[in-house]
Amino acid sequence: MERINLHEPGNKGEEQRTGSEWCRENEASMKPVNHIMKQVLRSGAAVITAMVIGSVPFSFAQESVAVRAALVTGGLPLDDPNAAAWSSAAPASFPMSPQVHWPNRIQEVTVKDVSVRALHDGKQVAFLLEYSDPTQDPDDAAAFEFMVGDKKAHFAHGQPMLQVEGGPVNIWFWKNKAGKAVDMSAKGFGTLKPQAHQDVNAKGAYSNGTWKVVFSRNLSTEHPEEDVQITPGQFISIAFAVWDGRKDAAGELVEKGSQKSVSSWWYFRADAPPDYSSYMYAAVAVALALGFQFVLIRKLKKGQ
Amino acid sequence: MGALGKPIILMVAMYLFLKFVLPNIPGSAPLPSSLIFLYLLLTASGIVIYETLSGESKDAFWGPMQRFLTGEGSGGLQVLRYGVLILFPLLVGWETYGSTASSDLPPTEGRTIHPAPPGEYTGLSNPVPKTPDNIMQGKGFYAAFCSPCHGGNFDGKGPAARGFNPPPANFADPTTIAMLQESYLFWRIKKGGVGLPIEGAPWKSAMPRWEVELPDEWIWKIIMGEYDGAHQSPRTWE
Repeated sequence: MERINLHEPGNKGEEQRTGSEWCRENEASMKPVNHIMKQVLRSGAAVITAMVIGSVPFSFAQESVAVRAALVTGGLPLDDPNAAAWSSAAPASFPMSPQVHWPNRIQEVTVKDVSVRALHDGKQVAFLLEYSDPTQDPDDAAAFEFMVGDKKAHFAHGQPMLQVEGGPVNIWFWKNKAGKAVDMSAKGFGTLKPQAHQDVNAKGAYSNGTWKVVFSRNLSTEHPEEDVQITPGQFISIAFAVWDGRKDAAGELVEKGSQKSVSSWWYFRADAPPDYSSYMYAAVAVALALGFQFVLIRKLKKGQ
Repeated sequence: MGALGKPIILMVAMYLFLKFVLPNIPGSAPLPSSLIFLYLLLTASGIVIYETLSGESKDAFWGPMQRFLTGEGSGGLQVLRYGVLILFPLLVGWETYGSTASSDLPPTEGRTIHPAPPGEYTGLSNPVPKTPDNIMQGKGFYAAFCSPCHGGNFDGKGPAARGFNPPPANFADPTTIAMLQESYLFWRIKKGGVGLPIEGAPWKSAMPRWEVELPDEWIWKIIMGEYDGAHQSPRTWE
């Protein structure tokens, strides 16, 4: 009864209502329907906005499983770790562990995270590796590792697996005192060796306790059996290693050889050129749905 | 409205029953959304069949829908009608975009955490007597060889664990060693990550192949120390 009173201040009994009053009440009750519709649309818009905002953290979370090389035109910063162009590439960060998988092990390492950015221009790719290291030492070193070909390779230098036939790995190794990269191959312990064809360049720059090292190479090479081949749009397995070249009290290197900081396998992808075909498919689908509605309503109207 | 109202009420009631009532019936469990969708689809087909059995009920059922779509006499529902007519094509477009756009996500790798062991590693029993001395010795070996990754607290959170994906197993978790037999652990410790079958993604595992470095007896003692330290007991055949 309370609700009827709200609509009809006159507080008339049911029996006393006239036809026009019924109409008026109907009109009055339609307004809430429109009102509710607006509310529904408004809250729908709010939900969509929340989803869009919510997806932003997801895209950040995504970065920590994959390095993405954005496609750029007009020159890559191939030998400049401090180039402004790097700020346009999204960094991906990966946790590092001491290498404990095989002897000689190490229990404690200096570098616990690395940050990686990448850019490509359709012909060459450049990576920027960044990590904190309190001291600059001649033996500071870092490496990228890639699976080569279709076979899976164990992240520890492609060591043999007992039930799965593995493939080789391609390792790009940079050392501060050498000032260049060494392009290497391995398939199992003790098989690591520099390749006959050196295709990788690297340059490091140290400042304020941070190493920035640029690695670069052509996307594809003429030696697909030993070099990783980078096809834009495809995900490739990538891993990282870092050696802090500090020495202990006895003057011995603390991190050397297998005693290093390592990551697990993550993914790398060079972005493919933009593909707008799905927008076109969506537009065609919208047009078809509109046409279907149009024909359906026309048929219904004619049928009556 | 009557012919349409009842089906709508029935569908809502069915949904509420499947979602909230059924899981609370003893011995039942929450239904996956795909199953709820299937049941609702069956309910809807049943309603359509029932409502279209006779000519009269057919008209009563489809009539309001037709009037809604054509906009005849729909009055105040006009806004809702335009909303449906605009939203439907947009929804179709959105779905099409979603199914044709190239994904930014890396390939998913389904990884079996406890794949089947080779035949020779099933049903072995621990040959080392379960004495306090042996357990203590096992815990010592664990501290030296396993704890850097699996943690001093047997929780998989050792100082060397953070960079490894998949993460080292947490033995305190009831879904790890508590549901495995001792002979399974013997296999995993002996052969390590590289001993896994393909469904276990051996190329990603940092677990060492301990058979190269430790005698079998030490491995059996480590297993004993692990169960004791993590307050778990091995799975046995009832």
